[in-house]
Amino acid sequence: MVDFYINLFSSIEFIKSYQSSIFIISVVLAGIPIFGFMAVNALVAVYVERKVSAFMQDRLGPMGHGVGLHAGKWGVLQTLADAIKLLTKEDIIPDSADKKLFLLAPCIIFIGSFVAFAGFPFNEFLVAADFNLGLFYILAMSSVGVIGIILAGYSSNNKWSLYGSMRSAAQIVSYEIPAALSLLPVVMLSGSLAFKDIVFAQTGSTLGILPNWFIFNNPFMVVAFWLFFIAGVAEVNRTPFDLPEAESELVAGWMTEYSGMRWAFFFLAEYANMFIVAGVATIGFLGGWLSPIPGYFDGNIWGVFWLVSKTSFLIFVMMWFRWTFPRLRTDQLMRMCWKFFLPGSFFVIIGVGLWDLIMR
Amino acid sequence: MGIKINNQNTHNSSDEEMVLNIGPQHPSTHGVLRLKTITDGEIIKKITPYIGYLHRCFEKHCENLTYEQAIPFVDRCDYIGSMNNDFGYAIAVEKLMDIQVPEKVEYIRVIVAEMNRIASHLLAVGVFGLDVGAVTPFVYCFRDRERILDLFEMLCGARLLYNYIWVGGVSHDFPVGWVEKTYEFLDYFEPKIIETNDLLTYNKIFIERTADVGVIPPEVAISYGVTGPNLRGSGVKWDLRKNETYSIYDKFDFDIPIGTGAMGTIGDCWDRYYVRIRELEESLKIVRQALDQMPRQGDIYESMPKKIRPNAGHIYSRTESPRGDLGFYIESDGSATPSRLKLRSPAFTALSCMDEISKGWMLADMLTILGSLDIVLGEIDR
Amino acid sequence: MNYFLSIFQTISTLIIGMSVTLGHMLKIRKGNVTLQYPVERWPRPERDIGFSPDSYNVIRSRLTVDMDDCIGCLKCERACPVDCIKIETHKVEKGEDITEANHTGVTSNGTTKRLLLTRFDIDMSECCYCNLCTYPCPEECIFMVGGPNSTRHEIDYEFSEYDRNDMIYRFSKVPPDILQSYVQENK
Repeated sequence: MVDFYINLFSSIEFIKSYQSSIFIISVVLAGIPIFGFMAVNALVAVYVERKVSAFMQDRLGPMGHGVGLHAGKWGVLQTLADAIKLLTKEDIIPDSADKKLFLLAPCIIFIGSFVAFAGFPFNEFLVAADFNLGLFYILAMSSVGVIGIILAGYSSNNKWSLYGSMRSAAQIVSYEIPAALSLLPVVMLSGSLAFKDIVFAQTGSTLGILPNWFIFNNPFMVVAFWLFFIAGVAEVNRTPFDLPEAESELVAGWMTEYSGMRWAFFFLAEYANMFIVAGVATIGFLGGWLSPIPGYFDGNIWGVFWLVSKTSFLIFVMMWFRWTFPRLRTDQLMRMCWKFFLPGSFFVIIGVGLWDLIMR
Repeated sequence: MGIKINNQNTHNSSDEEMVLNIGPQHPSTHGVLRLKTITDGEIIKKITPYIGYLHRCFEKHCENLTYEQAIPFVDRCDYIGSMNNDFGYAIAVEKLMDIQVPEKVEYIRVIVAEMNRIASHLLAVGVFGLDVGAVTPFVYCFRDRERILDLFEMLCGARLLYNYIWVGGVSHDFPVGWVEKTYEFLDYFEPKIIETNDLLTYNKIFIERTADVGVIPPEVAISYGVTGPNLRGSGVKWDLRKNETYSIYDKFDFDIPIGTGAMGTIGDCWDRYYVRIRELEESLKIVRQALDQMPRQGDIYESMPKKIRPNAGHIYSRTESPRGDLGFYIESDGSATPSRLKLRSPAFTALSCMDEISKGWMLADMLTILGSLDIVLGEIDR
Repeated sequence: MNYFLSIFQTISTLIIGMSVTLGHMLKIRKGNVTLQYPVERWPRPERDIGFSPDSYNVIRSRLTVDMDDCIGCLKCERACPVDCIKIETHKVEKGEDITEANHTGVTSNGTTKRLLLTRFDIDMSECCYCNLCTYPCPEECIFMVGGPNSTRHEIDYEFSEYDRNDMIYRFSKVPPDILQSYVQENK
């Protein structure tokens, strides 16, 4: 998108000479839809999460009924009302907080996921910034948020927040490794770090009916997919790995002292990160924007639809995890990472390499 | 900036240690309890429970109330198992006055007390799941508990604080259709225990979190006076319903589940939790037998005294409440009000061993242990 | 070996748990327990309750007093464990109707009244709904609305007020201007 805008503006005669301003305007124009998408994603995901949790627990969730002021039929306006409430809420900064860092932390967390979105492709052309290192870029950018989390926990000057941010730092840094390692087989099979090439390597069909997605490529890839997905769940701090916010232990963890608008930013970033993790898993293993029936329903518009629906399914699985499982303990979390996930991902890398060598 | 460590109150304070006040407002303290915790990173060094935020002068207040008027306040001590509290109090006063209640009343009392035990254990199980981080089992447990509360509402008009078991009788007879609805509930509830087991009990994450954690060895449990499911979780077969049979518990066939250390050590959190799950089944058995055997005819007000004015004397009587050994010491001077009433709270003794068993565990484990003890602050603070 | 066993146990037990929640999610129409309150309401407890429904008040809702029947014996006030009932009486001619004070001399049970009730207040915000006041009443004039008493007073489960003082229900029928003269006479 940025390239597209730059080319567009460069082709116009009278602004061609202002190269630096063309770049800034192009970036802003490409960024606005991302921000819009993040906001819509959070609104929809929160609503779905409420409904999913409610249905799993034999409840109905947000509902509006009858006359009077309510959240619309099936409670569809509930998250909108929540957003309005959060935006109009009083912004409280604790007296003993480190004010500058306290204000900075939500910005860093938000920017982390915003920048990661910049490299995320929705189809072959719809991507804010098309890198040939897309996968690497997203993995790198999605861990910027941890700085914000540490800042938030430290600057709140609250013991619960400090606990939360300490746990979060340890957790995200550890789970980066299995997440990255279990994505390596994808890179090995496609021979590229660019999302475009990764998806193009998955076109066609395998075994007659199945689409030629990497998850169906060989049995090791199934393991790799789950390793990446679960490590991704850990990276976005969702149950069963939600130790940093653990409401029954740490009240709300690192976001205890935040309220209103700033807290909404955390929320936005959390759901955006969920989307990114699920999206990377989709592109890496589930064929990205390719249709599940090879040869049919392909095309740019269909591509966006397939990508978003596959990603939404993975987000649903994350919600499903959250409303089923208890939470792990810090040491168990670390043990799981270093004793199970790391050897597992090495095993998968070797397995995929050997399989590829033999079967080819 | 950073964290200000209050060094004045720490015990053997060093720079590594931090005082963390858990509560009085905290989602996992099961009421208004404050735990002053000295931590070293995530590790617990020392816990001091501070109680009294819910103190209502129950014992002193009872000295100004007649025996009937005390019952609503007895209800409010352990508000999760009100029927069992009433039961214990009624038995104590009846012993003081030498009242023999009719058989039908005994059956009614046992049925409602066991139903309330189910409700109480459901809450304990669900909230324990919540402490460990699983939200859904909690909602399922509350859904089933709601059915019991509906039955109680049909029975006596109240959902939580019943004032149902009176000295010498009960306030109402079973209404028409109650027995059938209770049978219906029993049939409905049995499969739900299996569902809870699938969802929570045998979940590997749950087992990891609870097995081997917070072990109360039997001798420690006995020396601290821990009773009820917490003691039985440590492998001690002690249940007042069998060991010191009161009312008509000798007529029923039921087991006393004890902790076996199936997933870890005997007396760990999982054992305590599983004893409660097993007790749900045993209580269901008792309710079913009692409903089958209960005489359908009879006057429930037969032995109810017109005026409760016991002769001068004193009595200590104890019963098995969902939380353990609930004792009432009543001293009468022959007037209409007790001259002294003391309640021996099982949750209080369970809380007292908190420091001993959670030392060296992590912060998350500490809240697991607190949840597995199933305390009710209304009873501890009185 | 234990290593692989624990991996297997983890995966299998987690899948069992997930199938339970998914089952509930798919069967939400059947399993739903939420009542959408203002539109749907819970069924009211059975009216025909007990073997002799007239003999007791089972529903515990708002306390109400039938003032024409009250003889001012103070038994309910004494029975109340939280002292939320406050009664003041004034001696009047036995069994005589006082129309200006809306006082009837004889109750519906035929008991003659000696006392005029200048005050009968029940603070429902203090009431603990223990039902202890309704049993000693010799005229059965204090009762909780609903249930077997639904013929005497319409059922009232949902009562709430914006001001705490509005929770004090004043049952005395004596008009305020006349009440003043009685209070002065007492002094």
